[in-house]
This record gives sequence, C-alpha cells and structure tokens, in this order.
Amino acid sequence: MNIKRYRQVRAGVALFIAALVSSGVVQNNMILAGVAVVTGMLFLALVRSKTKIVVDEREKLVREKAAQAAYAIFAPTIGVGSYLLIMLGRNTPYLFALGQVLAYLALYLIALYALSFHLLNRKFGGQSEE
Amino acid sequence: MKNNVRLLRTTSDLTQEQLADQLGVSRQTVIAIESNRYLPSLGLAFKIARVFGKRVEEVFVYEEE
Repeated sequence: MNIKRYRQVRAGVALFIAALVSSGVVQNNMILAGVAVVTGMLFLALVRSKTKIVVDEREKLVREKAAQAAYAIFAPTIGVGSYLLIMLGRNTPYLFALGQVLAYLALYLIALYALSFHLLNRKFGGQSEE
Repeated sequence: MKNNVRLLRTTSDLTQEQLADQLGVSRQTVIAIESNRYLPSLGLAFKIARVFGKRVEEVFVYEEE
C-alpha cells in the first residue's frame, strides 16, 4: 500500500464514521454515535503509519491473521446471536426482525467466505491438474 | 528454526534499517526475523543470504522439533 492508497482508505473510513455519527445524532441514537466515535478513534490510533509505508510479507501475514481472527469471532457471534434473537423474539417483532437481519448477514458472510476461498484456492493452484 | 541474521548483520556493520532497505522490507520485519518471531518466506530467506554472501543454510539452521 502506498501513501496515496493509505490516505484514501483512511479518508473512506473517516467518512463512513462521520456519516454514522451524524445519522446517530439526527436520529437521537446516541449509542450508535458513541460506538462510531470510539471505533473511529480506535481505527485512527491503531492503523496508522509513519512517513514510509512498506507492505512486506510479514505485514501481509499480520493482515491475513487479523482478517481470519475477525471472521472467526464475527461469524459465530452473529450466527448464534441471530438464532437467539429469532427464538427469543417470537413475541417481540423488533427482536425477531433484528434476528432475521443478523441471520441474513451471517449467511452473506458465509457465502462470501466460501466464494473467496474457492477463487483463491483456484488462483493459488489448489486444484488437481489430472 | 534458528538464524544468524543478527550476527551477520552486526559483523557486516549494517543497521537494521539499512538491511531492511536492502531487502525491501520494514525494519519491524528485520527485528522479527532476528528475534525468531517471524519465519521469512523462501524468497526473502534467499535474499537475506545473498546480502551477506552466504548460502541459505548458513544463515538459517533447521532444527528438528
């Protein structure tokens, strides 16, 4: 990643966070605004680079591991969360709807992972040539 | 896997920054390799050996687990 790309990513994340914060404030949803601010601060503090940006094989490995850990935590969390919300929210439409949204999100994540795995497996020659 | 990167670097009068520049990696990566916290790829291992004018097996020593 060069400096230009790095700045673009930072700007994109900052824009997204700003949109969430303003939407939270407008809709009087202070939890969303608060979580967005904290997440934004965390991102800007942890994912920063000095003058020179070198993306080498170790950094790529770190990114792979971070993405893997994020997936490994996020997928089961929303999977179990959606199931519980659907079960517990039978008499509460709001919880039920939230559970359904999370269920679709979990399915989307699983499909995305499967597709990425398949394409990357092909790209790196994991299929038999016989 | 053990390695002699730190020894070879100091005897070659190179700083971690200079070695990193020659290898095209970050200084953090050189630090991680020297302290055995990161095992470099085969390509980078050959590059490191070439910088010191050694063979790969002289820089990296395989040890049975």
